[in-house]
Amino acid sequence: MTLFHFGNCVALAYVPYAIVYKCSGLAEYSAFWKCAQAGAAYLFTQLCKMLILATFFPATEVSTGGLDVIGEFLKSTVDLADLIGLHLVMSRIAGKGQLKFMVAGLGWATAELLMTRFIPLWVGARGVEFDWKYIQMSFESNINLVHHICTAMLVWLRSRNDLQKSLMPVVMSLLALSCYRPLIVEIITHAIGLGSWTLLSFKALFTGCVGVIALQMFLGLSGQSNSNSYY
Amino acid sequence: MEARPVDAKMITRRCIVARLQEISISKYRDLVQENAGALLILIPADLGSISTSDAKHLQTLERELLLLAEETSMPVYFALETEELAQIYSDIHSGNAGDQAATAVQALMSGATANGFQMVIAGSQAKALGEFQITNVQGHLSGYGIEEQLPTVAFVAHYDAFGIATGLAEGADSNGSGVIALLELARLFSKLYTNSRTHAKYNLVFLLSGGGKFNYQGTKRWIEDNLDSQDTNLLSDVAYVVCLDTIGQSDNLYLHVSKPPKEDSAGNVFLQNLREIIGSYYPQLKFEMVHKKINLADDILAWEHERFSIKRLPAFTLSHLESHKSPDRETVLDTRSKVDVKKLRRNIHIVAEAVARHIYNISSRGDVQLFSKTLDVQEELVSAWLHHLTEKSRAAQLLHKDHKLLNNLEETLNRYLKDVKRSTLKADKRDPEFIFYDGAEYTMSAYNVKPAIFDLFLALGIIGYLALVYLAVQVKESFTIGDD
Repeated sequence: MTLFHFGNCVALAYVPYAIVYKCSGLAEYSAFWKCAQAGAAYLFTQLCKMLILATFFPATEVSTGGLDVIGEFLKSTVDLADLIGLHLVMSRIAGKGQLKFMVAGLGWATAELLMTRFIPLWVGARGVEFDWKYIQMSFESNINLVHHICTAMLVWLRSRNDLQKSLMPVVMSLLALSCYRPLIVEIITHAIGLGSWTLLSFKALFTGCVGVIALQMFLGLSGQSNSNSYY
Repeated sequence: MEARPVDAKMITRRCIVARLQEISISKYRDLVQENAGALLILIPADLGSISTSDAKHLQTLERELLLLAEETSMPVYFALETEELAQIYSDIHSGNAGDQAATAVQALMSGATANGFQMVIAGSQAKALGEFQITNVQGHLSGYGIEEQLPTVAFVAHYDAFGIATGLAEGADSNGSGVIALLELARLFSKLYTNSRTHAKYNLVFLLSGGGKFNYQGTKRWIEDNLDSQDTNLLSDVAYVVCLDTIGQSDNLYLHVSKPPKEDSAGNVFLQNLREIIGSYYPQLKFEMVHKKINLADDILAWEHERFSIKRLPAFTLSHLESHKSPDRETVLDTRSKVDVKKLRRNIHIVAEAVARHIYNISSRGDVQLFSKTLDVQEELVSAWLHHLTEKSRAAQLLHKDHKLLNNLEETLNRYLKDVKRSTLKADKRDPEFIFYDGAEYTMSAYNVKPAIFDLFLALGIIGYLALVYLAVQVKESFTIGDD
C-alpha cells in the first residue's frame, strides 16, 4: 500500500515532465542529450552557488521563527547565478529559439527534480505514516517545471535584440520576480500565515501569471519574427 | 496493527485502544476470545488525583488480570494518557473506518476519508531473565560488649514494588515507606551507637530485602544463609525481628504477628512500649495487634515476618493495613502523593522510640522522648528519600544487581552501619521458584495512515490530473505550432 502511495507521488511528480518532453517536439529533435547537458550545467551552477553562500554568508543563528529579510534577500541574489547559468546553457545550444529555452528549462527542472525530490519521496512516501506533504511536494515539482521553463524563456527573450524596447523593462521585472520568488513567497507566508495547501496554490498562481505574460511576449515576438522571416 | 476503539465490531488482529473505564474483566475475556491483536489501556496521567471510583476500578482490574493467569497471546499495554494519546483516541472513535457503515458505498466513502492509526511496537518479545539475581543489602551495628554474646534486634524491609504495569510500579507506600523507615532508623541508631555512653547491649541488624513482592524470596534466602551458617552469627540470638511494610499513611497501625509474644519475652516488651508510646504521645493513632496463623498450605506468605516465624524466630510486621490482602500493596496507584510524610515520620518515630526503650531498658514511667531535637526523625530527609525512591519504577525485575538505586541504598547504609554487604540469589535452574521477564517498558508508535482504498482514489485523481496536463500541452503545442 505504501509502495503504491510512493508510486502515486512519483507519477504525479515525473509524468508531466515526460509529457512535456514528448509533446513539445523535443523528442523529434532528439534533444535528450542536450537536456542532460543542461542538467549538468544545473549541477555545476548549484555547486558554484553553494560555494559562494558558504564563503560569503556565514550562518545566522539569530533568526529562529523571525524572518531575516535582508539575509534572505542576499541569498536570493545569489540565485541570479541561475539566470547566468541558464543563459550560458542556451548560448551553447544551437537551434531555433523555441527549442533552446525548452531544452534549457526542461533539463534544468529535471535536474532539480532528481536532486531535490527523489530522495525525500523515496524515504518519506514509502513510510507507514501518511502525510499530505509528499503529494504537495509532487505538485510543487510540476509548478517548478513551469517556473523554470518560464525563466529560461525570459532569459532568452532578454538576449534577443529584436525585442521591442518598451517590453524590455517588463522582461527585466519578470526575471527579477522569478529570481526572488522564494523570498516573496516566504514574506507572504509570514505575513498572512498561509497553510500548506494555500501556499501551494499561491505558488501555482504566481508562476501561472509570470508564465502567461512571458508566453504572450514570446508569441508576439515569434509572430513578429515570422513576419520578418527570421527563420 | 490497526488501532480500533473498544466497541468496534471487527477486532481480530487489531490493536484495541481503550480508556480505563471501558475495560472490565468480561470485556477483556471477550477481546481474548475474539483474537484481538493487542490491548492498549490508557490510564489517567495523574494517578495521584484519580477519583475513588476509578481507583477502585483500576484495582479490581489489576487484581483480576493477575488472577487470570490463563495463557493468552494478547499483550496488554498500559500508557499514561497524554494529550496526543487522547487525540488519537478521539480520532479512532470518530472515524471508525467503515466497520459499522450501513451500506457498501458509505463504507467505501468513509474508508477513503478516514484517518487510521497504525500501532507499531518497537522491541522484542518479553523473554525470561534466566540469570536474574535478587539482591539483599544488609548491615549491622554491634552492641556494647562481646558481640557474639549479645542479643540481636533486626529490622527488615523489602524495597521492591509491584503493579500491573511493571514500568509504572512506583510503590511509594509499599514498600518505599518501609525502606525510608529503615534508613532513618539506621541513621538514628548509628548516632547513638557511636557514643560510648549510649552504646546499648544489643546488636542491630538492618536488611533491605529484594523480591518482597514475590513471596519474600530475598528474605527467605537471607534467613537460610544466616541461620545455620558457621561464620555469621547474626541470627544466633534474636530478640525479635521488626518488619516494616507500608507505614506511610492513615491513622491506623497494626502489628501483625503469627504467634502472640510470650509474657516475658523481648517481643512483648516491644509491644508494651509501642502501646505506651502511642497512648501517651499519639492518642489519635489506632493501634492493634493482629494475630494470624501462618497458613502453610498457602503458596504465598502473607507478611514478611512469617518467613522468620517459620524458622521460629520471633518476628512481627508493622503496617497500616489490616490485612495482607489489601489491594493497596500491589497497585500502580501507589504513587508518591499517597504517602503522607508527616504520618510516615510519626510512625518511624514510634518504632525508634519503642526499640530504644527496649534496648536501653528504660522502664517507661518517666515520660522521656529519646528521639527529639537533633536526634529526631528528619522530615526533609524522609521526603527526599521518598522522592528518590519513587522517581522510577521499582519493580523487582528492573532492579538488577548493579542498579543505581541499590548502589545508593548500599552507600547510604555504609555511611551509618558496619559490614554493609549485598548478597544475591539466583533461582534454581531446574526448579525455579521465580522467573522474571524483561519488557517493563516499550515504545509504541502510532502512525497516521490512510486505508488502501484512499490510495486507489488518489491514483484515479492523479491520472485525471495528468490527462488534463497532457491535453493542455497538446492544445498549447498545436497553438504554438500553428503560430509558427
